[in-house]
Amino acid sequence: MESAFNYTESELVQGLRAKDQKVFGYLYDRYSPALYGVALKVLNDEGNASDVLQEVFVKIWRNIDRYDDSKGRLFTWMLNITRNTAIDSLRSKAHKMDQKIQDIGDDVHLYTGNLTVHPSVDHLGLSKVLEKLTKEQRIIIDLAYYKGCTQEEISKVLEIPLGTVKTRMRNAIIQLRNLLKLV
Amino acid sequence: MDASRFISSGLVEAYVSKLATPAETQELERGMVVYPEVAAAVDDCQHDMEQYVSLYAVKPPAYLRQQILSTVETEEEARHSNAYIEETIAEEIYTRPVRVHGIWRWTAAASIILLAGSVFLGYTFYNRYNDYKIRYENLLTQNNTLTANTDLYRTRMEEMSKSLHIMKDPAMKMIKMPGTQLFPDAMATVYWNASSKEVFVLVNNLPAPAADKQYQLWAIVDGKPVDMGMLEPGNATPELLQKMKSISAAEMFAITLEKKGGSATPTSDQMYVAGKAG
Repeated sequence: MESAFNYTESELVQGLRAKDQKVFGYLYDRYSPALYGVALKVLNDEGNASDVLQEVFVKIWRNIDRYDDSKGRLFTWMLNITRNTAIDSLRSKAHKMDQKIQDIGDDVHLYTGNLTVHPSVDHLGLSKVLEKLTKEQRIIIDLAYYKGCTQEEISKVLEIPLGTVKTRMRNAIIQLRNLLKLV
Repeated sequence: MDASRFISSGLVEAYVSKLATPAETQELERGMVVYPEVAAAVDDCQHDMEQYVSLYAVKPPAYLRQQILSTVETEEEARHSNAYIEETIAEEIYTRPVRVHGIWRWTAAASIILLAGSVFLGYTFYNRYNDYKIRYENLLTQNNTLTANTDLYRTRMEEMSKSLHIMKDPAMKMIKMPGTQLFPDAMATVYWNASSKEVFVLVNNLPAPAADKQYQLWAIVDGKPVDMGMLEPGNATPELLQKMKSISAAEMFAITLEKKGGSATPTSDQMYVAGKAG
């Protein structure tokens, strides 16, 4: 459903501010897979992720005036909305801490097997990157970004000293950045 | 903190991966305002993080597109026809205080207590359900591991009983091949069936070969070496026999270490074991 022409980011923002529904449709086609991917990774459930995606696009439509392009790109803003909405939904469904930890536990469990990628996510690029990251590097990025874990929680789950969490994250991201150059 | 400290502190990575605490986030955002190179580093790193996140992109279910577009469309129509205002007024009507008397008051109280009770029960059972779910999954994993191990042992057992069956044949001749002077610790055995001419070899003790090397069995017939085949690498289990090429007559058997895939003639200084067939 790719539109026949492309908008620049500032054209997109302008169109959204003018409440142009055609621009909104284009925005959906271009960004919904990435945003849905985030919701799916956070919630691990297609139904919940669909609900979150709907909420996210309505928020984008209503709040585009609050987007400030001097503070970052539109995509960054939309990713933040998606991540926050999805994590809020995750927490409202499992308000108890141990439930959250259990989810993480399940995730850690997934990582111990073969590279478990969501069945519909099967790009060559992703598996190439995931293969080259160590298990701990993958977990530390995903716990922080997709599960909203604090440094304390990560130190507990990975059984590493609190003081080293940031160093490990730095190394993981540096490794990730090197790999992305190769994809 | 100066710019280079910001960049090497791990704060940039913590910020884009959302690991940073609110205080750390504020600190970095101040740094981004002061130092353009910090802002550039964050932007770079942000870009990579987004690229990583985009790798997980999944096309959402097709029906969602229409659903979302029409939600927005309805909202726009409502905004234009001022339905928003009506809604607000309608809400105000319902929030006017209403006095309730007598039995209804008690009924309401009772239903609230009942509701609270059922919420509590629901919550308890949900937790219990989760607990059992975890235990069940753990058991399932254990069970899978056990099944896999059993299969492994069964295969080994079958291989061993096959080897034993071959050795039990009364026509089987056992030829011990002790280590040569160069390799006194080495040891292997040839089992040679005089009636069927089949030859099997058993490794008692041979050092593991390098990745590009392989052991080769030879028979000496009329003083000349005859190739009897390659020993499978990694088959160092002393209980298992490996079938080699058949031969009707031989004076000696020997094993040499050759390049992978074997040689046409044996390398004599790499002879590990040898034994007379007579």
